[in-house]
Amino acid sequence: MSELLNSTPIWLLIIYGIFFLFGAFFPAAFIYSMLFGWLHESKRTKKLVAREQRVAGISGGDNIHTLSKPINIERVSSAGLVMTNITVSPSWWQLFLGNIKSIFGGQIKSYDKVLAYGRAEVLQRLREQALGEGWTEIINVRVETSMVMNKVKGGQQNKIGTLEFLAFGTGIR
Amino acid sequence: MTSNTETIPGFKITKSLGVATGSTVRAKHIGKDILAGFKNIVGGEIKAYTELLMEARTEALGRMMLDAAQRGGNAVVNVRFATSSVAGGAAELFAYGTAVIVEQE
Repeated sequence: MSELLNSTPIWLLIIYGIFFLFGAFFPAAFIYSMLFGWLHESKRTKKLVAREQRVAGISGGDNIHTLSKPINIERVSSAGLVMTNITVSPSWWQLFLGNIKSIFGGQIKSYDKVLAYGRAEVLQRLREQALGEGWTEIINVRVETSMVMNKVKGGQQNKIGTLEFLAFGTGIR
Repeated sequence: MTSNTETIPGFKITKSLGVATGSTVRAKHIGKDILAGFKNIVGGEIKAYTELLMEARTEALGRMMLDAAQRGGNAVVNVRFATSSVAGGAAELFAYGTAVIVEQE
């Protein structure tokens, strides 16, 4: 065995090593995603709920809405555009489940969760930004979704990648 | 002043000066892309991309406001955003609105 090791050139050993690393890394990462992905997900969701409750306690309800006229303010002294964004992506396991489900069609619950989290988070960030910048309320809130950072193959987008959510509105005080 | 409503509440539009636009094209960083790939394993937010896109969009918005200022406006109303992927890995962020002159009522 040691003779074989000594007679093999070093660059060949390095190439073997790289192949071994890659061969071991991807299955290990996939199994990690399967076993612990939900743990990361529930941690995120818990944090988000706590923040939502905190902001609701400060502003006494919701300080953002989609109407084009202010509700709570009579006299407006200044206005400005407020925007915030988030990029989210499903985990490897969720992608795998989604790919299987998309063969049969129907509701894809694993993607559902990711999208719901992204939208809730981006709206929450808008609320926090309104508080931070001192706007009394944000009117005319819009949420846009785009898939900007995925690879385009053969001119068509054939799989879900990183999603971006953008929320923006007009801050009023 | 910028707003995504047709009129700014409490202000009166005295003159419209046409469409103000601003755009920027950004490509992602290869190193960050690899790190984002690792983050993808468990899903969730990818902070590198969030910051990149926000930075780019702020720049597009800044260019739009510069365009409006060159037209002689003091506000931009009805601001919209558009995003398109130009090539693999590059994104164009585009902001546009109507440059106007406003007065407080």
